[in-house]
Amino acid sequence: MKGSIRRLVASGLAVGALTTGLITTLPAATATAGAATPSVATWAEAPQTPPNYIFPFMGLQYFSVSNINNFQFLMYRPLYWFGNGSTPNLDPALSLANQPSYSNGSKTVTVSLKNYKWSNGESVTATDVMFWMNMLHAEKANWADYSQGALPDNIKSITVNSPTKVTFNLTAPVNSYWFTYNELSQITPMPLAWDVTATGAAAGSGGCAKAAYGTVDTQCTAVYTFLSKQAGFDPSNPKGANNALPTYATNPLWQVVDGPWKLSVFDASGNVTMVPNKTYSGPTKPTISKFVEVPFTTDSAEFNALVSGSVDVGYLPTSDVTSSTSNPTTAGSNNPRLESSYSMSPLYTWSINYFPYNFNSTGDGGAAGPIFKQLYFRQAFQTLVDQPLYNQKIFKGYGIPTYGPVPVYPQNSFVSSYEKKNPYTYNVSNAKKLLSSHGWTVVPGGTSYCKNPGTGKGQCGAGIQKNAKLSFNLEYATGSSATTQLMNAEKSSWGQAGINVNLSGASFNTVLGNAVPCTSGQSCSWELENWGAGWVFAPDYYPTGEAIFQTGAGSNSGSYSSKQNDTNIAATTSKNTSLANYENYLTQQLPVVYQPNAVTSLTEIKKGLTGVTPQSPLWSINPENWRF
Amino acid sequence: MLGYLIRRTIQALIVILGVTLIVFLLGQLIPGGQARAALGPKATYAQLHHYDVQYGLNQPIWVQYWHYLLGLFKGNLGYSVKRNQTVAASIGVALPRTILLVGISTIFALIVAVPIGVSQAVRRNSAYDYAMTGISFFLYAIPAFLIATLLIIWFSFDLGWFPSSVPTDAGLWSIFTDPRSFVLPVFSLAALTIASYSRYMRSSVLDTLTEDYIRTARAKGAGSRRVLYGHALRNALLPLLTLIGLTLPAIVGGAVIIEDVFNYPGMGLLTVQAANNDDIPLVLGTTLVLTVATVVGSLLADLLYAAADPRIRLGAE
Repeated sequence: MKGSIRRLVASGLAVGALTTGLITTLPAATATAGAATPSVATWAEAPQTPPNYIFPFMGLQYFSVSNINNFQFLMYRPLYWFGNGSTPNLDPALSLANQPSYSNGSKTVTVSLKNYKWSNGESVTATDVMFWMNMLHAEKANWADYSQGALPDNIKSITVNSPTKVTFNLTAPVNSYWFTYNELSQITPMPLAWDVTATGAAAGSGGCAKAAYGTVDTQCTAVYTFLSKQAGFDPSNPKGANNALPTYATNPLWQVVDGPWKLSVFDASGNVTMVPNKTYSGPTKPTISKFVEVPFTTDSAEFNALVSGSVDVGYLPTSDVTSSTSNPTTAGSNNPRLESSYSMSPLYTWSINYFPYNFNSTGDGGAAGPIFKQLYFRQAFQTLVDQPLYNQKIFKGYGIPTYGPVPVYPQNSFVSSYEKKNPYTYNVSNAKKLLSSHGWTVVPGGTSYCKNPGTGKGQCGAGIQKNAKLSFNLEYATGSSATTQLMNAEKSSWGQAGINVNLSGASFNTVLGNAVPCTSGQSCSWELENWGAGWVFAPDYYPTGEAIFQTGAGSNSGSYSSKQNDTNIAATTSKNTSLANYENYLTQQLPVVYQPNAVTSLTEIKKGLTGVTPQSPLWSINPENWRF
Repeated sequence: MLGYLIRRTIQALIVILGVTLIVFLLGQLIPGGQARAALGPKATYAQLHHYDVQYGLNQPIWVQYWHYLLGLFKGNLGYSVKRNQTVAASIGVALPRTILLVGISTIFALIVAVPIGVSQAVRRNSAYDYAMTGISFFLYAIPAFLIATLLIIWFSFDLGWFPSSVPTDAGLWSIFTDPRSFVLPVFSLAALTIASYSRYMRSSVLDTLTEDYIRTARAKGAGSRRVLYGHALRNALLPLLTLIGLTLPAIVGGAVIIEDVFNYPGMGLLTVQAANNDDIPLVLGTTLVLTVATVVGSLLADLLYAAADPRIRLGAE
C-alpha cells in the first residue's frame, strides 16, 4: 500500500516536474530575438495607458500623452514643435516651418514651411496645412482642443501663397506668443494621401486639401469620417463595432509619415514597434534599428522589468524611491537594485498643481462659498501650506512648489519674479492674525468661528453669519500614498489656525466628476476637491488662464470670477504684453489652493544609452536622438 | 434531466438580466457622468454635451438600457471608448489568456494536489501528514502577491532562471513563444490552489475510508490498492468535482494579483481597470462574462456530480 501511495505521489509530482521541465527547456524566442539585435531600444509605457488612436485629428476622448506625445508625434510631426531641451519653448530645429511672422497689427500670420518630405516622396506643403485647417473648419466639434472663439473661429481667411507659404488672416489682433504657442501649436499637416474617402482612392480625391479655406465642409466631413473609421472611431456610429487597432501597422494610409519613425508592429495591448523612416528630412536621423514600446499593467511589473534589464528606458515608481535628493532637478541615489545598470533623471512636466475652492458652494448651510470669497481667508489658508517642507519630506525632495498660475519650473521666461518669490510663505502666526483681524475667534486644534459678522473693517465679510465655522469638506483622489500623506499634513497644518478640514478619499474620476463648476444660486454642496493633478499646459503651451481661471470657463471648476482677472487674461491673448499682470494678480489673489507639484517621472536610462536627456517637459520622446 | 436544464437556463437568464440591470444602473451614478469620465478635466460644456449626444447618453436611462439589450441580442457587447475597441475584442484578447494561465495552473494543481491529499489520508497522523499539512497551511496563508514577489526575486532576479513577466503580445500562442515566462505565474497560482485542493482531498478520502462499503470491501478481502482506487477514490473525488465546477468563474474572472505582478493583462486586470476608468461598457461586458461563467460553473458542478454519483438524479422531485 505504502509503495502504491509513494508511486501515486511520485507520479503527480513527476507530471508537475515534467511540465515545468518541458516548458523551461523550450526556446525563449522573444529573448533570443532581442539579444540578436542590440540596437533595439525598448521604452516602458506608463501603466494601463497604451496608445490607442493614430489619427492626429481626434476628439478629447483620445487626446492623451500616450496617443500624441509618445505615439503620433513620432510619425506625424506637428507644424511647430514645442519642448526645446528641458524648456517648454518652441524648438525651431524640429518644427516643420520657420517661426511665424506677424504683421498687420498682429492680424496676419505668415507661415513658411521648410523642406520636409513625406515618406512617399512628396513635400510637406502649405496645402497639407490647409488640409488640416479645412478639416478643422468642418469638424471643430470633433477636435479635442476646440473652444469657442479660438481656432478656427478667430480665422477670417487662409491663403496658400505658394507651396511653402501660407497666410492666416485673423478676425482680431492676437498676442503672437499666444497664437503661436496655443493656436498654431494645434496644427499637424496631413499628407495628400489622406485626402480620400475610400480605401485605394486617388490621393486628393476627397477634395478637402486643395480647396479654398472653409469652402468644402461636406467633403472634409466625409474625409474625416473615413480617416476616423480607419483609426477605429466611427463618428456616425460611435458605439458600433470597428476594431481598426490591429490594422494600424498594415494600413497604407498610416505608413505615410513625415516624422522619423514608421509603425511596424501594433496591437491593442500596447505593444508598439517602430522602425526608422529612411526618408526623414529632419535634423537628426535615427540610428537604432527599432524603437519598441512595452506596455505594463502596473508600476511593480514595470519595476520588475527594470531590475531584470528588459527595458532600456523606464521609470522608477514612487514607492521604490529609496533616497531623497537635496535638489529636485538632480537625481539622488538610485534604487540599489537599479544603480549598477541605470542612471536616473527627474522629469517635471509643464504644469501647475492646485485644487479649487468652490466659490458657489452651498455646503455647510451656505457658509463655505462666502468664506472662500474672502481674500484674507484664502491668504490664511495658503499661508498654512508649507510646500518646501512637503516636497522634502513627502516627495523625498522630488517636488516643485506652485506659487501662482505659471509653473516656476521647468526653466522658462514666463514666470515672474513676484511669483517665484512666493508672497505666502508658511507662517502660522500670520494665518491666525489674518483670521482674528477679520472678526474670527481662532481656536487652534478646534474650529474657529465668526465672532464679528458684517462687511466692515475687522469683520468676517459678506454673507458670513455670526458663529459660522471654519469647517470644510475636502475630497481628494486616492491611489497615491504621497497624496494621502500630503492631505493629512495639510489638514494638520490648517488645524493649527482652527480651520477644520474633513478629508475623504475617492477615485480620480469621482473627484473630477464632483469638481464641476456650479452657477450661483444652484444647490451645489462640494467645497474643496483635489484630483491631484492640477493643470498641464499642453497643447496650449503659453500658460494663459482662459481655460481655467476666466469667468465661466469650462475648467474653472471653482467658478472663480474677477473682472480684473478677465481683463488681464484678455490682454494675454489679444495684445503683445507679458504675462506679468495676469500672473502676479492670480499669485496674489489665490483663486485656488496652490499645491506642491511632485516629479512626473524619475526616468531610468540604461547605462550606455545616450540622447535620452534632456527630457521634454511636454512629455514627448525623441528616440531618433538615442545612441547606444 | 431536460426539464432540469431548461429550468436552470431560464433561471440563468433572469440572473444575467438582473446583473446587467444593476451594473447598468450603477454606471449612471458616476459623478459628472460618463462624458466627464471619458473626456477628463479639460472638457468644455460644449464638448461634454457633444459627447453625450454622440454616444446617446442624453437619452432616458431605460432607452439606453433597451438599446444595450438589443445590442446584446445581436451579439454586440458595446464599445469601450477608453480602449478604442469593441468590448468583445477587449474580452476576446484577455479571456483566452486568462483561461490559459488559470486553466494550466488549475490542472497543474489538481495533478499535484490529488496524490498529496490521498497520500496524507492514507498516512494520516504520520510525520509526513503533519509536514504536508504544515506546508499546505503555510501556502494557504501566504498572500498571493508575496509568493509571486518572492518567486520573482529568487528565480528571476537572483538566479535568472525565468523571466519576471509574461510576453504582452495579444495572442493565445504567446505561451509557445516564451514558455519559460509562464513558469512563475503558474507556480504562484498553483501553490495557493494545491494547498486548498489537497486539504479537500485529504478530508474527503478520510471520510470515504470510514464508510461501511469500504469496511465491507476490506472484509471481503479486497487489497489496499483495490480499496483505495477501486472504491474510495471515485467517491472521494465528488466534493472536488463540485469545487472544480465552482472554479470556472475564477478561471474566467482571472487572477488580478498574479496578472498584476507578472504583467499579464488578463480578465482580472481588465475588469479592475474598467472599473477604475469608469469604462461602463467594459464593466458591463466583463460582468456579463463572469455572470455567465458563474451560472455555467454552478450547473457544470451539478452535472458532474450527477455523472459521478448515480444516486443523484437531477430534477427528480
